[in-house]
Amino acid sequence: MSDPLVLADIVMSYPDGPSRRVVLDHLDLRLGAGELVVISGESGTGKSTLLTVAGLLRRPDEGEVTVAGTRASGLSERKRTALRRAHIAFVYQSANLLPSLTATEQLQLVGHIRGERVSSTRDRARRLLGDLGLGDRLDQLPHQLSGGERQRVGIGRALMASPDVLIADEPTASLDPRLATSVIDLLADAARDRGIATLVVAHDDGYRRRADRHLHLDAGKLTEVSVAD
Amino acid sequence: MTVFLALRDLRRGIRRFVLLGIVVALVALLSTVLSGLASGLVTDGISGLRALPLEHLAFQDGADATFSRSTLRGDAVEAFTAVDGVEATPIGATFVNATSPDGGPSIDIALFGVASDTFLVADDDAAAALDDGEPGLVLDAEMAEDGVEVGDRYVMGGSGVELPVVAFTDIGSYGHAPIAFVPLETWQQVQYGADVDDRFSAVALRGASKADLQRAAGDDIEVLTRTEAYAGSPGYTAETTTMTLIRGFLLVISALVVGAFFTVLTVQRTRQIGLLKAMGAGNGYVARDAVGQMTILVALATGVGVAVGIGIVGALAGTDAPVELDPPSVATVAVLLVASGVIGSLVAIRRITQVEPAIALGVEP
Repeated sequence: MSDPLVLADIVMSYPDGPSRRVVLDHLDLRLGAGELVVISGESGTGKSTLLTVAGLLRRPDEGEVTVAGTRASGLSERKRTALRRAHIAFVYQSANLLPSLTATEQLQLVGHIRGERVSSTRDRARRLLGDLGLGDRLDQLPHQLSGGERQRVGIGRALMASPDVLIADEPTASLDPRLATSVIDLLADAARDRGIATLVVAHDDGYRRRADRHLHLDAGKLTEVSVAD
Repeated sequence: MTVFLALRDLRRGIRRFVLLGIVVALVALLSTVLSGLASGLVTDGISGLRALPLEHLAFQDGADATFSRSTLRGDAVEAFTAVDGVEATPIGATFVNATSPDGGPSIDIALFGVASDTFLVADDDAAAALDDGEPGLVLDAEMAEDGVEVGDRYVMGGSGVELPVVAFTDIGSYGHAPIAFVPLETWQQVQYGADVDDRFSAVALRGASKADLQRAAGDDIEVLTRTEAYAGSPGYTAETTTMTLIRGFLLVISALVVGAFFTVLTVQRTRQIGLLKAMGAGNGYVARDAVGQMTILVALATGVGVAVGIGIVGALAGTDAPVELDPPSVATVAVLLVASGVIGSLVAIRRITQVEPAIALGVEP
């Protein structure tokens, strides 16, 4: 079986005055099922750009992204969207919940986008939120939830998609250390238990104890950091 | 349900939509009242013509459906009656200021001269009153409510002919003046004095198609349908054109307001749209949700505005204001308003399609 996420020879650059600044320079990355990989790096080194490329949100200038065995470079935008919908989910720094949806509805929206009947997704959404310790917060709106609860709903929303690839952009950056640890554990457990290839950008050292690999992004290249460091 | 997010957004964030809802409701209210006014004016202008049991009217060619510009003679009627199944009867029409000889208030009337045995006078009592004894006026029943009584006498302006009121019946009005039937000979006396020469204004017809009637009429006579003849009523075209223009402008304003509001809303929701796209929603999904939201909002606001407008028209109907509730017109206004709102919301679709999903990760294009 092919790896859920493969980035091969990726080049990505942005206009920088009269020239272009290369942020991803012939970068390679491969994530296996259930593997948790943490990316660190200084601000502005292209971590978010890497996530947008890996998550099929942007096309690289060069190189190939393969998701669940499907090469994305030759696909139309519509087919890339369908590939993303079927295999990729995101967890954001600030949860990014929709203000008018309850916790349960945040998860149901995922099913609705996939064409599932709203009524058929309700039980699964509530069960998933219960597993995340939110059984008594199912009908709360985002403004009625704490920061940690919001982030757990965000993780639930990502898991609702049953993704092969989960991409998380500093999901613990706005949480206190105790909540950050619980969110890290949630993500790591989800990756292992559900076989999800999980790519996390984080500055938080807490990931190191749960990560399978720790990579550092600098000058457009990824270098391996020992998880024991 | 294709508008999962839109419905909840409306329900739980209704305050954001109140301003637009009020504006659309006010436009709907104004459109409904104007529709009532337009229907009322039309009724005031041509209700008599609309109520006459005729199918076509024949005028002198070039008269543009205007009775005062048309003069026909008896041979015109004979040309039509020669066609199988056709009923034809002369009709004379003039606007007259009728004054009371004993100093009472004068009245403006549309004096319609008709033959007493004609199909035009459907009310038997009115027909009998026209036929019996001294020639007199059969007035629209509305005049009785204004204090005119049977037996009152009026002098027809310009001719000096004095006529009594002999009966009332529901005739309606023409050119915003109540219609008064008189025997055709009396009308000719009022209109032409001693020099009648078998003249009248037009021929009322039924029983054949317009094409057959026109063929029988020849080139000097123009056959019009009843609806086409409305245009000859004084002020009718100007009034209906003005009202149509105002309602058209309101539709355009409504579309512009909805479009502007929706564009601002789309800009405010750029990150949310990016998030939906990152979750795998296509442009079609996001656009359907957004346009669906506007459709629901505009439909609700229009419903409220139309309901209040109907209430106002109903209240005005009891006054002298020429208003009338015409359900098909009101329904048309409502449907057009919703349609214009949807069209207005389409201007933001392009903006929706241009939002990049990468914005969900905070990466600007």
